[in-house]
Amino acid sequence: GVAPLGAIPLLKEHQTQFQLMESAFYHMPHLSDSERIRPGWPFEKIERIDVNMGARYLPRTPCPTPAYYIQSPLAHSDSLEFYQRLATETLFFVFYYMEGTKAQYLAAKALKKQSWRFHTKYMMWFQRHEEPKIINEEYEQGTYIYFDYEKWGQRKKEGFTFEYKYLEDRDLN
Amino acid sequence: DRAPMGPNVHIHNGILQVRAPNYEDPPGLVEKTDQLLRDWIGIYHSQHQGRDSTKAFSMFVHQMNVYGILKTDDLITRFFRLSTQLCVETVYRVLAEKTNPSLSLLRPKCYHTLDAFVRLVALLVKHSGDANNTTTKIHLLNKVLGIVAGCLLQDHDTRITDFQQLPYQRIFTMLFLELNAPEPVLEAINFHVLTAYCHTLHILRPSKAAGFCYAWLELVSHRVFMGRMLATSPQQKCWPLYAQLLIDLFKYLAPFLRNAELAKPVTMLYKGTLRVLLVLLHDFPEFLCDYHYGFCDVIPPNCIQMRNLILSAFPRNMRLPDPFTPNLKVDMLQEISYGPRILANIAMMITPPQFKKDLDSYLKARAPVTFLSELRGNLQISNNPGVRYNVQLMNALILYVGTQAIAYIRSKGLSPNMSTIAHSAHMDIFQNLSVDLDTEGRYLYLNAIANQLRYPNSHTHYFSCTLLYLFAEANTEAIQEQITRVLLERLIVNRPHPWGLLITFIELIKNPTYRFWQHEFVHCAPEIEKLFESVARSCMVKSTV
Repeated sequence: GVAPLGAIPLLKEHQTQFQLMESAFYHMPHLSDSERIRPGWPFEKIERIDVNMGARYLPRTPCPTPAYYIQSPLAHSDSLEFYQRLATETLFFVFYYMEGTKAQYLAAKALKKQSWRFHTKYMMWFQRHEEPKIINEEYEQGTYIYFDYEKWGQRKKEGFTFEYKYLEDRDLN
Repeated sequence: DRAPMGPNVHIHNGILQVRAPNYEDPPGLVEKTDQLLRDWIGIYHSQHQGRDSTKAFSMFVHQMNVYGILKTDDLITRFFRLSTQLCVETVYRVLAEKTNPSLSLLRPKCYHTLDAFVRLVALLVKHSGDANNTTTKIHLLNKVLGIVAGCLLQDHDTRITDFQQLPYQRIFTMLFLELNAPEPVLEAINFHVLTAYCHTLHILRPSKAAGFCYAWLELVSHRVFMGRMLATSPQQKCWPLYAQLLIDLFKYLAPFLRNAELAKPVTMLYKGTLRVLLVLLHDFPEFLCDYHYGFCDVIPPNCIQMRNLILSAFPRNMRLPDPFTPNLKVDMLQEISYGPRILANIAMMITPPQFKKDLDSYLKARAPVTFLSELRGNLQISNNPGVRYNVQLMNALILYVGTQAIAYIRSKGLSPNMSTIAHSAHMDIFQNLSVDLDTEGRYLYLNAIANQLRYPNSHTHYFSCTLLYLFAEANTEAIQEQITRVLLERLIVNRPHPWGLLITFIELIKNPTYRFWQHEFVHCAPEIEKLFESVARSCMVKSTV
């Protein structure tokens, strides 16, 4: 750098400011300081374990990564089209472990597009395995595939009654 | 600082209550607050209730009533102050835990307490007074912000180098997000929320709380904050407030940057500043256009790139002609007949009033000549090298005389060009300055001119002509060398380069009337000569030198 007008010794107040700034420099704000806590799933289960709250979240853990690895996500990876190309299990992971984020919203939207329906009582996603045996105003009944977040896998349920009052039907626009 | 007015007064009251000496609390209040806060944190984090705490909140307010906290304004204030201090103490305790197995667990632990407290504040603000009573809500918010700011300053002054930014940054950020949720009650007070935040951030500016400077910049440049301030609020009502915060930042950086000794902490803040400017240049160029004068007034002359970022901004609906187009006729452009918006009162900055009077009468009568000979004395403030001149006065003078000149030429039914700008009181002043000032003064003076070389507008055109005229009419090579220097040093840095600056430089080296290549300073050293050649090559794509 150049100082075309020549250097001027710092005033006392500026020296003091520099010292305070320097000590702040050694504990910089983290990215997570200005973000909402990243909650995980399921609350009840992990809360009982309560490892100083840490396990509840997918916290940011910055660390040096080699330059030849990708440093930032792919372009347009925050679009619905991108989420529609993800595996169902990935979408479930995003849904359960990234609550309250745009990612969760996109995952839910992608799941809906693949005819998965969210059950607000069981807090699980269901998909018709076949045409329901009964359909009326209140419920439908038949064989469903659902995703069990506790066992972390897809299961089949025969003769299941999906009551419409538990159908999450908010319009995700 | 002037005595605060309006809702601002509540921020200052909040600060004063924390900072007042011997501020004793009624017996038992600390314990009550501690208990209430613990209860609330428990409620906030318990299942189901955490998500929508409205029901739990009304029960909690009842509890506060039972404890007598809501009886008087004074007690409520004390409750907020003590709660803030308790939360902050918790953070210091957590961060000091060296035994914890994983450092990444420490921060969520801090957030646990702080976020609960923030939600309580947000709910209290939202529900204070009737649903339609915005005044009560705003007063309470201002009070709380004042209290947190007061705690911060107190903590900053006592802990000194052990001060932690985290708790305050988290409280301010999360409260801001809470208060910007899409709810009608909050939308009704949004403008007041933004104003309250700007005042608070101005009070906590880096020159007042240097240990908070990084968190402060994070707050000022937060995605949501920037969006609300510059894009969402109607009629650009928040623009002057945001400009003030940037000026606070530039002013703080100035003494460190002007010496060009960039220690790591300074570099870090400087890089952050450049990033903010890049975002502004990309997303809000009109904002940078409107406030360029005030920004350039506080940025040290050697911060070329920082200033170029500001001067390169141009209104988005404008298409700039490529400066490298052969035979580009700047005179023919529509835009050069319009003046840019300058959101600063230039005339007011020319002080003392007597000097302004003399200046105006000289511009009118082109006499007395003594005005010119005394001009330098009016600008000079000391004999110490490096700080000889009143830069702000110099900047104001140049822009004022320029705008007066444009108006004068127009009043004669003409438009500014190389011949109409000559032989006037205005040009007398400019020529006198370029001859009479010493190297330092002339450098500042030419920089003040170059700061007006921006997108196509009447100022850019006038000052471009003026600079070229001064070059052509110079009686010594030293003046021409310095003009070249000021232009060149703004071009050899990385992009962006202001349009008017390129136009002026290209004209200088291309137009044979300036005999640019015949000057000795162009050939003074082989590396300088090479530099000129390479700049010329990049400036004159297909034409020959």
